[in-house]
Amino acid sequence: MPLMTYIDAITSALREEMVRDEQVYIIGEDVGAMGGVFKATKGLQEEFGSDRVIDSPLAEGIIISSSIGAAMAGMRPVSEIQFADFIAPAMDSIAEQAAKLRYRSAGTQTCPLTVRVCYGGGVGGGLYHSQTNTSWFIHTPGLMVVAPSSPYDAKGLLKAGIRNDDPVLFFEHKKLYRSIKEEVPAGDYTVPLMKADVKRKGSDITAISYGYTLQLTLQAAEKMRTEHGVEVEVIDLRTLAPLDKDTLLESVARTSRVVVVHEDNRTLGIGAEVSAIIAEEAFDCLDAPIARVTAPDIPAIPASPPLEKFYMPSVEKILAALERTLDY
Amino acid sequence: MTRPPSIPSTDDERAPTFDSHAPLDEPTLRRLYSYMLKCRTVEERIRLLFRQGRFSGNYFAAVGQEATEVGATMDLLPGDTIAPSHRNFVTHIMKGTPLKLMFAHIFLRKDSPDQGRCAQAHCGYAPLNIITPASTIAAQLAIGTGVALANKMQQKTSVVVALSGEGSTSLGLWHESLNFAGVHRLPIVFILENNLWAESVPARLQSAVEDFSTKAPAYGIRGVTVDGNDVIAVYRVSQEAIRRARSGDGPTLIECKTYRWYGHSEIDPAKYRTVEELEYWKSRDPIAAMERYLQERGFWAESWKQELLADFDKEIDEAIEFAEKSPYPEPEEALDHVFSFSIRDRELHRRVWAPQISSVG
Repeated sequence: MPLMTYIDAITSALREEMVRDEQVYIIGEDVGAMGGVFKATKGLQEEFGSDRVIDSPLAEGIIISSSIGAAMAGMRPVSEIQFADFIAPAMDSIAEQAAKLRYRSAGTQTCPLTVRVCYGGGVGGGLYHSQTNTSWFIHTPGLMVVAPSSPYDAKGLLKAGIRNDDPVLFFEHKKLYRSIKEEVPAGDYTVPLMKADVKRKGSDITAISYGYTLQLTLQAAEKMRTEHGVEVEVIDLRTLAPLDKDTLLESVARTSRVVVVHEDNRTLGIGAEVSAIIAEEAFDCLDAPIARVTAPDIPAIPASPPLEKFYMPSVEKILAALERTLDY
Repeated sequence: MTRPPSIPSTDDERAPTFDSHAPLDEPTLRRLYSYMLKCRTVEERIRLLFRQGRFSGNYFAAVGQEATEVGATMDLLPGDTIAPSHRNFVTHIMKGTPLKLMFAHIFLRKDSPDQGRCAQAHCGYAPLNIITPASTIAAQLAIGTGVALANKMQQKTSVVVALSGEGSTSLGLWHESLNFAGVHRLPIVFILENNLWAESVPARLQSAVEDFSTKAPAYGIRGVTVDGNDVIAVYRVSQEAIRRARSGDGPTLIECKTYRWYGHSEIDPAKYRTVEELEYWKSRDPIAAMERYLQERGFWAESWKQELLADFDKEIDEAIEFAEKSPYPEPEEALDHVFSFSIRDRELHRRVWAPQISSVG
């Protein structure tokens, strides 16, 4: 199997799905001739033509709305939102149309739409190129929110998302694009949606995360073993909505201690929901309060390096939370 | 005289050969009139039902605007899509949604197209390609634009007719839709029902332009302003725009200047308007105008109108009877059609919420 970066895994998934199903097309800002600002769609317009890889006007509302309409009419659009920070103009389309479509039509209309969203900080992008706003969508029933942490999952989940008959928001962390490589099959495979993955087995404490911070959590887990002999079980949520509660609860039942890590800010982030589920359904299993490592509740991710470092979750912050929870 | 069928049927698969210069034939004129009369009869009955307290909710009548709704949407083909606004409920009649389903929707019953989920203003019908309107104004234009994109990509000749009021032109999605449709020359016709009032705000506070169709050139598309109370004019202009859209000649913006006789909804007394303004527009009643025209052409018999009304009333009575007999959805059906529920989640929701429902009866 070839070693592949996260971004190459995404390009590979897009290409294979476009070959497999001619209803699949791509639309977004700069996705065509330029191949996307991060090159996720590099070469695809050359291969499939400008009718199937559409350079859209600079207008997120119509990127998503037109995709919803086309999806209702039988197409399988993959729309790109260049930065998660730019998605707000499409919120009406996403929350009022895509999310409600199946429900409001009593199942007679569906919307097989995949929205690729580039998110996340740690690259000095500042206020409008760094946000993690996954919670906006997690809180909107009717949407599936997916955020892979590895190249293998990125390819398999994106292919599964494109084949899914309901709207999927697919969050890709820009810091993962070229920072990790993994063996990824060249051919077709999918990774199941709505299923969390135990990325590292452990018996002493459970650490739950997704996306970029999942990689930080794995690094912290390795340090816990080498430095403290502690076995951390690391769960990758992969699909943030709807949540795979069973995988979480089974792990908590074994470890009795939980740390949740995410880059979204704290209040009503996924950590809040995970904590509530565990409190409701596994209260008796807990030996310590649930700890959260998150971004602070400030309006934006600042640009200056020390400010951004303060904002971002880190291996050190995760280690501190793990140690605190183990020592309780 | 031989009684014509209430509303003569069209041959749905006929080739789109509309000649915008030829005079309309008698059957077409009769159908235009019949549909307008039916739309008004249905809406006035819904308004009566509301005042009688027969259904909970609200209704947004387009009485006075029938020429626009009928002229713009008559003779669409089965594969064509209507993207209506919250005020275009009666365009269902034009596409062929059975009145029974429409009234089941008004009564929010199990037999409505969405099984009681959407409020009266938001009725879609997937089998006939009628998009569900949303109250986020202009959204339907953008969704319709996407359907038009799919039609083009799939090399279909189907078109989209998207309706909205003049208030919608102030929103970003209105601009984004016309712009995108223009760039890709999509098979869509934008019907702008300028009824002078967006709820309580007059058109002059929406835009500094007099004729909203003058916005069309900014998107590289054709724009036409037409008397929205002249059903023949609206029909001619719309058919021409539909023909062009169908043949790959791109979108058109048609501004229809018209007027709603009643308030924004049934709970709005519309005191922001003058009596004189209302009386002026009532004197321009599109249905009465068409009656006069049919008389001039020698196609009129008062008995025909009475027969039409009797037919419509009978059909409406039957639809209401059907709708009132249709059950309400079971409370727990609120949990249906949610893709994201696992069986476990659904059971959890049922256990948590169902006892609260039963305690309030």
